[in-house]
Amino acid sequence: MIPFAIAQQTVREALRRRVMWIFLVSGVFLIAMGPVFGFLSPKDSQTVLRSLGLAAILLAGLFITIVTCIYLLPVEIERRTIYTVLSKPVQRYQFILGKFMGGFAVVFINIVAMGIVFLAMLWLQEKRLPPEMFIGVVMTFFQMLLLAALTIFFSTFATPVVNFFLSFGIFLVGNMSSVTDSLTSNNNPLVSNAGKVIHYLLPNFGNFNIQNSIIHPTIEIKNPNVFLFQNMIYAIVYSLVLLTLAVLIFDRREV
Amino acid sequence: MAAAISIDGLTKKYIDVWQKMEVTAVNNLHLQVEEGEIFGFLGRNGAGKTTTIKMLLGLIFPTAGDATLLGKPMGDNNVKQDLAYLPEETYFYDSMTGWDLMDYYGRLFRIPEPERSRRVKICLEKVQLQPEAWKRNIRGYSKGMRQRIGIAQALINDPKLLFLDEPTSGLDPIAHSELRDIVASLKDEGKTVFLSSHQLADVELICSRVAIIHRGKLLTTGTIRDLISGERKEVTVTSQALQNGLYEKIHSIVPGAQRQGNELVRFLSDDDDTISAVIDIVRGAKGKVLSIVPQKRTLEDVFVETVRKEEGEL
Repeated sequence: MIPFAIAQQTVREALRRRVMWIFLVSGVFLIAMGPVFGFLSPKDSQTVLRSLGLAAILLAGLFITIVTCIYLLPVEIERRTIYTVLSKPVQRYQFILGKFMGGFAVVFINIVAMGIVFLAMLWLQEKRLPPEMFIGVVMTFFQMLLLAALTIFFSTFATPVVNFFLSFGIFLVGNMSSVTDSLTSNNNPLVSNAGKVIHYLLPNFGNFNIQNSIIHPTIEIKNPNVFLFQNMIYAIVYSLVLLTLAVLIFDRREV
Repeated sequence: MAAAISIDGLTKKYIDVWQKMEVTAVNNLHLQVEEGEIFGFLGRNGAGKTTTIKMLLGLIFPTAGDATLLGKPMGDNNVKQDLAYLPEETYFYDSMTGWDLMDYYGRLFRIPEPERSRRVKICLEKVQLQPEAWKRNIRGYSKGMRQRIGIAQALINDPKLLFLDEPTSGLDPIAHSELRDIVASLKDEGKTVFLSSHQLADVELICSRVAIIHRGKLLTTGTIRDLISGERKEVTVTSQALQNGLYEKIHSIVPGAQRQGNELVRFLSDDDDTISAVIDIVRGAKGKVLSIVPQKRTLEDVFVETVRKEEGEL
């Protein structure tokens, strides 16, 4: 009950942030512009809409997740509202969990909103809802789950500015899993070991990018269900690890 | 009577990494607060009052020492069910209405409905927040209304022990008086109040005992009656010899003596021997004692004297 109360309050506060609405409107605008761009390239109009739609959801989702989650803890500490919460019978893990749930609920609402617009545009253009597009949106959702957990983790010890660059940087590196994977087989042991650390330790955001196979049908996902399931489990387990670490750090933090 | 708060050697040190120095915010504090009393915790800004409260509530962690609240270790989550805290200059969630804020805090105590709504209403009425403000966003609240909602949130769980940090600062006289009376009424309900305040007149009026802390060190503690007991006398003397070293002689006996013009010296003392010694010197210099007026000590006098003495100014 306590984490839900904190989550509900967090959603209320987060939805007041104008910057989040700017990213949402920008994302929806980009998706809505899909048919226009497709019109400019009639041969690939389907690919353009699909590619632009998923990219818009990913980009808007990325910024919404980061700007929502980096402030969740620092604002409570800066405004001292955390004093009136933690002086009540609220365990610190409940506070972190509530903040995460609230922050992610905001991200969920935004991705659902953009996803609905995207699928509607697809329906209008293709007169059908391709299941792989739905999977694409779901994958973005789980990617953002992982990113939200990462941002909350950093917010237990880093300032919002540092957190922004850390989260954004790790998201970028984590998206280049093919590059970090190739580093692991480098002849130079130093580069190879560093590559292994980066590839296996940092969250592999690249796993969730199924746009390539969707946009380029020649690349086939052998078993979409297993692919989806494995990625979901990966995101959930990795997020739980990050949240556990966040709780351990926040438990020792003075507020 | 059992101790509501028992502090045993509580110490908090901060290390300034850049300047390579250690700052002691609270130094080996020992204190007992009895159940059912309003206890005044006094000190200058930065004396360590808020640090002490934050340690007791588990918001920060002590470097050394220990404490119990209502018989349980400080920071214990179970004891928080019976605690309340009003921080100094709190910012509440501005987008919430007063009612929603109270409801939120009620949920943190796991108070079920409809009991929660009933308590919210009782608390808002107790702090005399106008009902038309209950459903308004806190963003539009005045300072007085924010303090009222602050005290109301501290009462939502019907606590046994309240930590109030400057509950009446910055208020207009009417709001000040009303909130002070609300705090005073808590004692009648059997609650223990740990009151940190700079409003010494309020503290003198509603507290039974006080402690004075300075630079993290406990200087004195006791009942108000004991602390302000002993009558002081304000002595005014005059002599033309003041300019010829007489003032310096008086000042060496009473460091707080103040010279007013060329021929007047005024000082306060509760020690008859000191007063006699000064009178003898003045008369020896053919001066006159103009007046000796008995004065009642206030808590403010005690506070100023105690702190200045510690700082070596007296």
